[in-house]
Amino acid sequence: MSNLNIDAAKANTFDVIVIGSGISGGWAAKEFTEKGFKTLVLERGRDVQHIKDYPTTNKFPYEFEHLGEPALAIKKENPIVSRCYAFKEDAMHFMVKDKEHPYVQEKPFDWIRGYQVGGKSLLWARQTQRWSDFDFEGPARDDFAVDWPIRYKDIAPWYSYVEKFAGIAGHRDGLAELPDGEFLPGFPLNAAEDYFKGVIKNKYPARHVISARCAHLSKPNQIHLDQGRAKCQNRILCQRGCPFGGYFSSNASTLPWAAKTGNLTLRPFSVVESVIYDDAKGKVTGVRVADTNTKEVTEYYARIVFINAGALNTNLILLNSKSKRFPRGLGNDSGVLGKYVAFHNYSARISAEYDGLKQYATDGRNPAGGGYIPRFRNLLKQEMNFKRGYAAGIYGSRYMERDRSGIGGSLKDNLLHGKLSPWIIGSHMMGETIPKESNFVSLSASEKDAWGVPLLNISVAYDENDALMKADYIGQMTEMFTEAGFKNITPNVSSQSPGLDIHEMGGARMGRDPKTSVLNEWNQLHTCPNVFVTDGACMTSTSTQNPSLTYMAFTARSVDYAVKAMNRREI
Amino acid sequence: MERRLVIKQVLIMAGGLALLPSCLREQGKSTILLKNLDISLDQENLMADIAETIIPRTNTPGAKQLKLHLFALKMVDECYEKADQELFVKGLTAFQDQAQDLFSKSFGKLSLHQRESMLAKLENSTSPEQSGFYKIMKEKTIDGFLNSKYVMTNLIIYELVPGRYNGYFPVKTA
Repeated sequence: MSNLNIDAAKANTFDVIVIGSGISGGWAAKEFTEKGFKTLVLERGRDVQHIKDYPTTNKFPYEFEHLGEPALAIKKENPIVSRCYAFKEDAMHFMVKDKEHPYVQEKPFDWIRGYQVGGKSLLWARQTQRWSDFDFEGPARDDFAVDWPIRYKDIAPWYSYVEKFAGIAGHRDGLAELPDGEFLPGFPLNAAEDYFKGVIKNKYPARHVISARCAHLSKPNQIHLDQGRAKCQNRILCQRGCPFGGYFSSNASTLPWAAKTGNLTLRPFSVVESVIYDDAKGKVTGVRVADTNTKEVTEYYARIVFINAGALNTNLILLNSKSKRFPRGLGNDSGVLGKYVAFHNYSARISAEYDGLKQYATDGRNPAGGGYIPRFRNLLKQEMNFKRGYAAGIYGSRYMERDRSGIGGSLKDNLLHGKLSPWIIGSHMMGETIPKESNFVSLSASEKDAWGVPLLNISVAYDENDALMKADYIGQMTEMFTEAGFKNITPNVSSQSPGLDIHEMGGARMGRDPKTSVLNEWNQLHTCPNVFVTDGACMTSTSTQNPSLTYMAFTARSVDYAVKAMNRREI
Repeated sequence: MERRLVIKQVLIMAGGLALLPSCLREQGKSTILLKNLDISLDQENLMADIAETIIPRTNTPGAKQLKLHLFALKMVDECYEKADQELFVKGLTAFQDQAQDLFSKSFGKLSLHQRESMLAKLENSTSPEQSGFYKIMKEKTIDGFLNSKYVMTNLIIYELVPGRYNGYFPVKTA
């Protein structure tokens, strides 16, 4: 009997356990397996294999039941996820339905999730801008959160490392606030975007319009071809999964790469209930998993655990991992765990028309989406009545106006022979929110999910700083659009709840002091050195850049550190 | 394989979309499976005639051939609020009666001129049912047309795989 137990334990023992197969979990899997470590990747959702499990990828618009719009019954059953721009018939099978995985909204929060192998890396917007020291030094300079325990120089080589493998298209713009990376050829700005760039360069020397950097293979290198990926074909149907592997996802890139080493064990349908802390050994020994379908509980063991469950779910797992040593959740001596959650403010947009440059339109589609304006407010010093600032997307397009008036032959003729609209210029804000103790997640005391895990309470809201910043974005964009001679400038200020930006961060923040932070400079729990967190939960502040690239870099850096520490027998 | 073939044969293609036929094949009922609406075969045929008047056959197929009325019916059945669905059916029923009252003929039997003038009146109708019904009917007929397989593969080509981007594509300014 005891032998059987030992055999079972052996079969369930790995060098490393990675919880989550999304953008950061995929990287942890790749790095560890490449270095020869037997790695178990746990994913709570189903398996999604590259190409094979992209059922809508080659569908034409008319092949969707309602031209892409989810049926009303589906929308009514899913008010939260329906508010997400990507919840359409072509990708809704990659998104969590409201009823499947409830949570408690102490304050309104639209929690958008993708529970499957690859997670949200299938669905992400693929924007990959680096952070700079203007971002890492933010909390210290502007007196909020805690100081980041690292600076740009610490992560710069790891940005390069992940960029080369993932494939990032971009131009070398030479901006201190948005450092250049290892770029494949950048996508071009179009005529209207270029024109706007010129206007801004003349009138606002400290502001810049660049082509957005994105995780698309504009011109694949050998390393990308070796992954089985091919050149991006400008489909812009990425959320369906790409049959070319034209954009980076765990499914197209890191997971198959990890599988090829022979060191990967991927276990879908695995809900991690908690991480097991052994009070006698004084370290984590493994994780407790409930099978998604059968609910059978199994324990898996490893020397090291990486938690990459997605920012808020990583908090949930840590909070629910209670032991004698850690009665308030793993690594939570300080009581900081779950607090200082922040996100990005995407709640304002603006559009306008431009009457010029009618000799040009666009042909084909731009995977980068257009231009990007890095943060310029409070960049060199505090100068506004709000803290921090915003980046902005900026894009121009012309569409076919089709006259729908009248009926009969003339209507049909009008419909088939559209007229090009003037250039329509659009922009959206990406604002930094300030992490606060009062923005937090916690475990529900009374409600549990189908696997016996407490539901997550989410208590996160916008504040006055966000409102001031939003007003400034609208004001500044209006001014810049006016300078450019744009007409019909139309602000679109939304009262959407936090969450819809899908950039929730923090809760297990990095910092130097164990009294005020959960993770150290290596994304390692201060008080439990064989556990690492390299997803959004680790973020001390949010800055304005889309965060995924930074998670990838953190993960590769952290694995490198963990492996060296293991070799030194420190963990 | 055989099952697939059978399904393929019984599906009704509308615009490019495969619709399930109504299971019961009940006499006098709509030919497609509806989840919410109760539409008679006469009403379905009337919708076909209205759609054909909006988008007629010219040297390219019209609404009837593309079954745009069935596309419209499916959209109303599954994508509209109950109140809008009721408005739609009321408006459709009233319109059915109106043709009879005015011409003692069903709409489909009227001359092109008569049909067009009836729709023109609908377009300007102040009755919420009639204008509500017609607005949806016209909008969905046009959506169905522009997004139909025929149009997207023959007239306004939809490219699934463009493989290019040109931000300075020259066009005529006139």
